[in-house]
Amino acid sequence: MTTALQPLLLLLPALLLVAGVFLWPLLRYGWLSLQASSVLTGLVPVPNGGANWQRLLADGRFWQDAAQTLRFAGVSLALELLLGLALALLLHRPLPRRGLLRAAVLLPWALPTTVMALGWRWILNDPHGPLNRLIQGLGGNAYGFLSTPATTWLFTVLADVWKTTPFVALLLLAGLQAIPAELEEALVLEGAGPLQRLWRLTLPLLAPYLLLAALFRLAQALGVFDLIQVLTGGGPASSTESLGLYAYLNGMRFLDFGYSATVMLGMFVLVLLLTAAVLLLQHGWQGRRR
Amino acid sequence: MKRPPHLLLLLAALLWSLLPLLWQLITSLRTPEALVAPTPAAWLSGWTLANYRQVLLGDPPFWRYLLNSALVGAASTGLTLALAIPAAYGLQQQTLRLQRLLTLLLLAAAMFPYVLLFLALLELARLLGWGNQLLALAVPYAGLSLPLAVLLLRAALADLPPELEDAARLEGLNLWQRLRRVLLPLLAPAIASTAILVFLFSWNEYPIALTWISKAELLTLPTAMARIGGSSVYAVPYGAYAAATVLGSLPLLALVLLFQRQIVSGLTQGAVKG
Amino acid sequence: MVLAAALALLLWAAVGLARPRPVEVSVLMPAPFADATAPLVAAFNRTHRDVQIAVTRGPLDTEALSDLAISSLLLGDTPYDLLLMDVTWTPKYAAAGWLEPLEPLLGDDAMEGMAVGAQLGNAFGGHLWRLPLLADMGLLYWRTDLMDAPPRSLQELAATAADLKARGEVSWGYVWQGRQYEGLSCVFLEVLRAFGGEWLQAGDRAALDSPAAIAAARWLGDLVRQGITPAAVANVSESESLQIFAAGEAAFMRNWPYAWRELQKPGSLVAGKVGVSSLGEGTQGSWGFSLLRGSPHPAEAAAVMQWFTGEAVGRELAERYGYTPVWNSLLQDAQLEARLPLLPVLRQALEHTALRPLTPVYAQLSDTLQRQLSALLTGGEDATEAMAQAQRQSSLILRSAGEAP
Repeated sequence: MTTALQPLLLLLPALLLVAGVFLWPLLRYGWLSLQASSVLTGLVPVPNGGANWQRLLADGRFWQDAAQTLRFAGVSLALELLLGLALALLLHRPLPRRGLLRAAVLLPWALPTTVMALGWRWILNDPHGPLNRLIQGLGGNAYGFLSTPATTWLFTVLADVWKTTPFVALLLLAGLQAIPAELEEALVLEGAGPLQRLWRLTLPLLAPYLLLAALFRLAQALGVFDLIQVLTGGGPASSTESLGLYAYLNGMRFLDFGYSATVMLGMFVLVLLLTAAVLLLQHGWQGRRR
Repeated sequence: MKRPPHLLLLLAALLWSLLPLLWQLITSLRTPEALVAPTPAAWLSGWTLANYRQVLLGDPPFWRYLLNSALVGAASTGLTLALAIPAAYGLQQQTLRLQRLLTLLLLAAAMFPYVLLFLALLELARLLGWGNQLLALAVPYAGLSLPLAVLLLRAALADLPPELEDAARLEGLNLWQRLRRVLLPLLAPAIASTAILVFLFSWNEYPIALTWISKAELLTLPTAMARIGGSSVYAVPYGAYAAATVLGSLPLLALVLLFQRQIVSGLTQGAVKG
Repeated sequence: MVLAAALALLLWAAVGLARPRPVEVSVLMPAPFADATAPLVAAFNRTHRDVQIAVTRGPLDTEALSDLAISSLLLGDTPYDLLLMDVTWTPKYAAAGWLEPLEPLLGDDAMEGMAVGAQLGNAFGGHLWRLPLLADMGLLYWRTDLMDAPPRSLQELAATAADLKARGEVSWGYVWQGRQYEGLSCVFLEVLRAFGGEWLQAGDRAALDSPAAIAAARWLGDLVRQGITPAAVANVSESESLQIFAAGEAAFMRNWPYAWRELQKPGSLVAGKVGVSSLGEGTQGSWGFSLLRGSPHPAEAAAVMQWFTGEAVGRELAERYGYTPVWNSLLQDAQLEARLPLLPVLRQALEHTALRPLTPVYAQLSDTLQRQLSALLTGGEDATEAMAQAQRQSSLILRSAGEAP
């Protein structure tokens, strides 16, 4: 074995597995999306001349879910960045029992989504959950939080923010710790207030971290599945259904693999477009600042 | 600088993250009657351990799910590290252009919303007969964790002074010896960080476990929780749910307390070098 | 030596034959049915030595039950012999190749003596796949204190309802299920049939843009527009409509047979003032058993299925829970009628039921129809436009799923 080949050989098994898990499905979906592969064909793929894509374009449920998924991702991403930044600034200061604090803040992120989704269902229970207890204690009437579209949606967002803010905060904390203290002190000497310092120093230097957190969270939020499936099942009347859940239902419930693959590719294109949009936006923003 | 508001904010942050969990703990210790009691007077009575008994003596008992998750987590972590450590080293040796390309691809894969993959992976499971094989889950899990693992380990490798390995090479150590005696010990902290992140991912993974496992006694924790949640009838056993939530959270609480330093450095390393 | 071996074998066989291990037939059912049949199953297991029934109490939510069954069937091995299924699932499961045809085990006359309306939906593609445990159908509930006889047509129903509301006798004329869910499809199908329309023609072509379908959709939309039905119907399912009717706020209600018992309970303001009649063709809903392919002991499983769906169990379930029996002998039984006053109505309703399309892609077709109807009810979309959309999307679904164009 030559030494030039060795590094490649070390890399190969991992790359093969990664390709098998990520690349193969996408190629397979590309092929499946051009086939009818459903119960009507006995689950055997039969070419159907692009009918899946025609259907996707006309499918009210796909576009409704796409809009809902976007709204969910956009709002939770914004909240997570905002709260995550606040939490990071808070944790950046010298604190007693820092390790314990970090562990406490991290816990929601480390728990399986389904575990706490079940917990939220109890907290939001009508009328016995603690939230309704509180409302009743204050003299109000119990409210079916998970039976009207607006509040159900709100709580899916909140549950997601609760779980993923720690992740964002920790990423940003790393960024904060990389900012040299002298720079901050220099600005203090110039007489800049805390908000000015945040705007002129912290945020620009934090930008790469914010971008990374935003990209990570955006892709994950667009793929939201566990939380929605367990907390709301997509209801009421599919008002909280995400694209991931719709793709899952098409495959596992409707047994229409051809269309399920098409929905997933549609979702993949959406993720790509949005990621590109965020990168372009950031590019333009940085360009203007320079 | 003003201290008190700062501490108050911190308290608020702690309440925000811990209160929902605390409420699950309280709920898990109450009788069904106490949970639905209409008057505040009854809120303080009716404490019980019956919910835990019910969950632990269920069919299958709850610890079974924890065990399943732990097994899958351990196997996935082992497989991931076995592939990622050589891969990170191999990546480090490539030309700069190839390195950048591969890093970018790995980063894209690490961000990928992997729920998209379930259908093709389910087909694979059927094809290979891997459905309802607990340890087979380690293969897709390793595949999904590898991008991040390789990136983290490569970032750590890049931090090591290159002279170290050159010296070892001059001493006549072969590749395996260099890895084993020089690089691995130096990489230990990064490996620990990577391992804990991979383990957490496998422990929490849902869509693939949901489609690969249907037998009740093989379910991992997340799928078992979802199934418990879906089977509610008439009087909803929220006390038992809550007990399951608490039992399902305890191992993670322990992990986070023990390894928070590694978790944080793993996450941030990825950010800095990725 | 050979002799000894043969002797040992004979002895072993004799012992084995003398004490056969009981065959265990495992059944997956939604929790309410598992609970309702539990005492009967326990009795069966006490009296049968060779066959034992093991019931798995599935999720309450019927879709979750289907998900559970499908996830094991997709992986290729199911731990169940029998599955209790909703009528709309049968074609999907049969087409996926997961069911065993029943006529080789039960004969061609397995449904002889069953009410005509209950027979529908069990056979598909030339085979029998399912035997019903109980029947269900849409019924019209009306107030005996506000009218002497139920209306004989939809036009009469709308006119009476409008009149009673105009005179201030009730807040609302007619309540039904208008939320975007399966119940809305059931309501629409009944109106569609009253107008002489079909959902699918020749079994595989959508016919939702026919004049009858447009008229049916318009009729429902007009009920809301004219205030006969509350606009809130767009968020009303069975339980909410029952609530409104039980509070005496409506003259008519469309619901399933279970509502009758609820309306006689103490909290109801209309107890003793409720008449029930058939809707002409009420949408059929039923639960029935199917035999899953790959069952290691199909003969025993079929026997258990016959016991479950037989007259004895049917009588018990009708008496204890008011489940609608499927056998003519029970529907005409005077003793049973004494305990179940609704029986004559059910018997009559079961003579003509409307079956939701027997197609493996029913769930998708129903979803797309619900969407258009919901838009019609809430956004005031035009009926012609809504039905044209439903037609177009249904055709796309059928084509993309592989139905011949």
